[in-house]
Amino acid sequence: MVSGTNGQPLRVAYYKGCLASLSAKELDISTKALAPKVGIELEELEAVTCCGAGDIHEAEPDYYLHLNARILAYAEATGSDTLMTVCNVCTLNLRQANYQLQIDESLRERVNDNLEAVGVPRYTGKVEVVHFLWLVAGTHFEQLKAAAHKGLRGLKIAPFYGCQILRPSKLLGFDDPDRPESLERIIQACGGEPVDYPAKIKCCGFPIIQAREDTALGELIQPIEQAKEAGADAIVTPCPLCHLSLDAWQSKLKKQTGRDFQMPILHLSQLIGVAAGLADSELRFKRHVVSVQPVLEKLEV
Amino acid sequence: MEVALKIWRFNAQTGERALETFEVEAPEWATLLDVLDIVKDRHDGTLAYRKSCRMMICGSCGMRMDGGAVLACRTRMYEIAKAGHIPVISAMGNLPIVKDLVVDMNPFWSKMRAMKPWLQPGYQQPPDGKEFLVSQERVNVIHKEALCINCGCCVSECNAWESAPEFLGPAALAKGMRFVGDARDQSTVERLEEYSGEHGIWECTRCYFCQERCPKGVDPRDAIAKLGAEAVKHGVDRDMGARHARWFVTSAKTTGWLRETELVPKTQGVVSSIKEMKFAMGLLKHGKVPPPIPPHVAAEVNESRALYDRVKQQGRDGALGIVQGEHALERIEFHDKSKKGDG
Repeated sequence: MVSGTNGQPLRVAYYKGCLASLSAKELDISTKALAPKVGIELEELEAVTCCGAGDIHEAEPDYYLHLNARILAYAEATGSDTLMTVCNVCTLNLRQANYQLQIDESLRERVNDNLEAVGVPRYTGKVEVVHFLWLVAGTHFEQLKAAAHKGLRGLKIAPFYGCQILRPSKLLGFDDPDRPESLERIIQACGGEPVDYPAKIKCCGFPIIQAREDTALGELIQPIEQAKEAGADAIVTPCPLCHLSLDAWQSKLKKQTGRDFQMPILHLSQLIGVAAGLADSELRFKRHVVSVQPVLEKLEV
Repeated sequence: MEVALKIWRFNAQTGERALETFEVEAPEWATLLDVLDIVKDRHDGTLAYRKSCRMMICGSCGMRMDGGAVLACRTRMYEIAKAGHIPVISAMGNLPIVKDLVVDMNPFWSKMRAMKPWLQPGYQQPPDGKEFLVSQERVNVIHKEALCINCGCCVSECNAWESAPEFLGPAALAKGMRFVGDARDQSTVERLEEYSGEHGIWECTRCYFCQERCPKGVDPRDAIAKLGAEAVKHGVDRDMGARHARWFVTSAKTTGWLRETELVPKTQGVVSSIKEMKFAMGLLKHGKVPPPIPPHVAAEVNESRALYDRVKQQGRDGALGIVQGEHALERIEFHDKSKKGDG
């Protein structure tokens, strides 16, 4: 990866995943608007499918492996050695499949024969799967600091990591899984003040929010309640699934507990986007269920 | 070396809790358990903790260090003391505390018992009258699950257990997989039915704390995924969690991307979905309910359907399809390219 050392943008294969294609389009739109400002050139993958979100891994695991191998093969075919994701769940699913394919040659051969038979290029194992967070907190941190010139003027932001960007750390490993700091670094670089709270590394409940709603809501309330008590103006998350449950299911918490938290939830690309001065049409806060307006008003004062 | 610990003391009779600091002299090879022994022998004989083998076999000394469950006998103190860090030691989470670092393991054992953790071969004699030979491929499916030492570290930070204390949890479910995946066991479907209850397989929230904490590399979350795959393979798939998972498969092979809006009725059934209409209308206003028609179809989606058909013919359904190329306890290092110079 040479970007950041010679001024050339880093060209990455961009896998946006399901939610950023559908209910969280604002994530895709803000990521595309922000990427060039932090030295990343996106080559969007078109002929790819869902990574399986852990669900196909749990229902038809061999199919899960092949679907992810196919995504990796098309990423490799772009000529880039980096596949960039914007979702925790995509990150884990792709890194898990990639690791197995990289270390096990006979497995890779079997999968490649199947890919080839249906017209997909073979995968040689040269792609690394990286979340957008890891680029802007790592190799592209200097570009991030330069881009975030408008600043967040001391807004108190609660980082919410979610699970599958931290654990299992043997497959992820960018942050210390118990004491992560990448989001905090980004919040500070954008001129905000990170607030600390224990549930920032816990589960938002999303994977079981339809099948076991009560259990999921018991998880969901923790970060929102703790962030509120810590005085946060908003929560930021690198995962669109966490975003959807934290944002859209807050109304269910209100119904269940009688407490109306009104906690705005930002995608990582939106948080940096605000600091980098992206336009409303690039941030798309109107697509959120909980209004982000109080945060924006506080910024203008 | 000088080692300092902060220990959360707890007195069940009075309900009192106190954080006490101990500074002791310990040999450089000392583990956390060795340091606790020194504290108890030379400083405060009232400190309570469990121990037995001191070599990662008995599973007695699970406790929290700085909020995360560890085996005290596996945790070396040299680097921690050298860094000047004073770790906070407390009892494991999600289980009632009896005294200091000792938890009541009864909830753990009652769930373990509920799995019927013994072989049910369904025959008196092996088919050939001599022995039942199991292929290496089948042994590999349950190799990790067989390494469990019942220490409870996986349960300590389990997020689903915390929210729903009746959840069977990672240790019991991994034990269940150890028998579902055993080629000799003849109660596979009955087991899968029993494990698919309200607080079974599909209540796992995939937080992966169990995978992170297990000191033996059992990877309990992967064991739960294997149970899910076996349940789907054997048609034990009425649970909403199973239907949710199957809809992702249908989506991938028809449109490529998740058919998000149809996920709710496909998971919960039409009647429950209608009850959710008011909630859905609230989301609709913000574009959170993408219209299913026309479908959002990925380019070259015929490839993903053809892949499905090919893969299904190759007979690696169920847990056999979960590849675990890494060995227990092996760590996969992340290569941070930012630390590699100009790459």
